[in-house]
Amino acid sequence: MKGLGNVIAIELKLALRDPMAAFFALAFPAVILWMKMRNGGTLPSGLPIIEAVVPMLSVFVIGLASLVVLPATMAQYRERRVLKRLRATPASSTMIFGAQWAAHMLLAVVGTAVLAVIGVFAYNLQGPVDVPGMVLAWVLGALSLGAIGLLIGALVPSGRAATVVGLAVFFPMVFVSGAMSARETLPESMRSLGDWTPMAPAVQAVRAGWEGHAASPVTLAVMAGIFIVASAAALKAYRW
Amino acid sequence: MTVIEINGLQKSYKTHRVLEDVTLKVEKGEIFGILGPNGAGKTTAVECMSGLRKPDGGTLRVLGLDPQTQRAELLQRIGTQLQEAALPDAIKVAEALRLYASFYDEPADWRALMDEWGLTEKRRARFGSLSGGWKQRLFIALALVGNPEVVFLDELTTGLDPAARRMTWGLIRDMRDRGVTVVLVTHFMDEAEALCDRIAIIDRGQVVHEGTPGELISKGHTNSLDDAYFALTERTVS
Ligand SMILES: Nc1ncnc2c1ncn2[C@@H]1O[C@H](COP(=O)(O)OP(=O)(O)OP(=O)(O)O)[C@@H](O)[C@H]1O
Ligand SMILES: [Mg+2]
Repeated sequence: MKGLGNVIAIELKLALRDPMAAFFALAFPAVILWMKMRNGGTLPSGLPIIEAVVPMLSVFVIGLASLVVLPATMAQYRERRVLKRLRATPASSTMIFGAQWAAHMLLAVVGTAVLAVIGVFAYNLQGPVDVPGMVLAWVLGALSLGAIGLLIGALVPSGRAATVVGLAVFFPMVFVSGAMSARETLPESMRSLGDWTPMAPAVQAVRAGWEGHAASPVTLAVMAGIFIVASAAALKAYRW
Repeated sequence: MTVIEINGLQKSYKTHRVLEDVTLKVEKGEIFGILGPNGAGKTTAVECMSGLRKPDGGTLRVLGLDPQTQRAELLQRIGTQLQEAALPDAIKVAEALRLYASFYDEPADWRALMDEWGLTEKRRARFGSLSGGWKQRLFIALALVGNPEVVFLDELTTGLDPAARRMTWGLIRDMRDRGVTVVLVTHFMDEAEALCDRIAIIDRGQVVHEGTPGELISKGHTNSLDDAYFALTERTVS
């Protein structure tokens, strides 16, 4: 794992230098936050809507970084033979995966921080109530969705295909899983469909931590399971 | 001391047989040239030696190591410049050198290397903004950043201007004089003649001629390597 810190730092810089990635991960969620908050108000449970919007959009950011930006980066690197050049060095595929994952998750951390800062200053955001619980849920969400992104990045034939597949996976998923609109406001049929997506446990667990409820161990275990299965499949499917 | 030993190397892509039976030896501290027409299998052979491709048959040892089963150890000790490769467009020259240096246990001083190859003035330039020749210089420097014992250079000076070519030749000779073994694929006969201690001509998947530039010239009954190359390959093609 020599040089891992170095690769992560450089990959994060590269992601921030890429106008598309920076827009997707940083500006786009902020715009959605603003749209969601135009009417303000509370959820049926009495929860101020901002306390639901920031945690769920933080999962939205994880999803964008892992399912859209990450696979496109990987596939483009393969297409342009950036990976082939790396293969001629002692850098291992596990290290490349780890660095890609970490850099894109740092991008999501930055995106989440932007949301939180806007929330605090513009909308009187109070949470998270249970910080460790929220962080654990966020990290497990990043691991599980990130592993799916790595798998997409390993399977798609080109950078263009990666973007198409990434967006096709991402958009329906954020709508039905409650990362775009609060779960409790979704129609029952949509919610039960959404519960089958790998984004749903992340949304539930991050919001639970945010509001100070204990996340169900099943939800956390499901995320861990997705991570193990998807990352093993991604390593197996990996091509330089 | 023999650094590279190849016996009966075979490699096919699907049904297309590219390397029939390549046999050669490279000694420590020499500049070994590989010549041959487009599609002859030069890149394929070099990529087998540097562990990037898996041979179908024959035996292959580089620094006494098997490039397939002992890859990790081998990759620490060799450097490679690929005929076709790229870096991310947004990475800067200095960042690339530093990053690649960090992969090795005992890297060269990347700043000194950057200076030596005239890249310091471009250290803040992004890879995507470099001209072909500057990219090439960076790739050569990246091949050396791990402080390798053996370097594989596939089409070393393609895209370099005459001054950069001369500079590159000088630096490659310096490397040899420090004991580094260099395997060089080239299409430039003047380069092969000026630089190589020994040369193998590969054609149709085999080594068809091998020797010092002088030996090849007399074998072809000509005055220059350029003429000798044509005299020798024509005979094998017909
Ligand atoms: N990945 C690949 N898949 C299928 N065929 C390939 C692949 N790489 C090379 N080939 C074929 O193998 C043959 C030898 O290719 P190679 O690149 O080794 O030649 P070369 O001697 O390096 O040629 P050049 O002088 O043009 O660089 C060519 O016919 C080429 O089309
Ligand atoms: Mg070639």
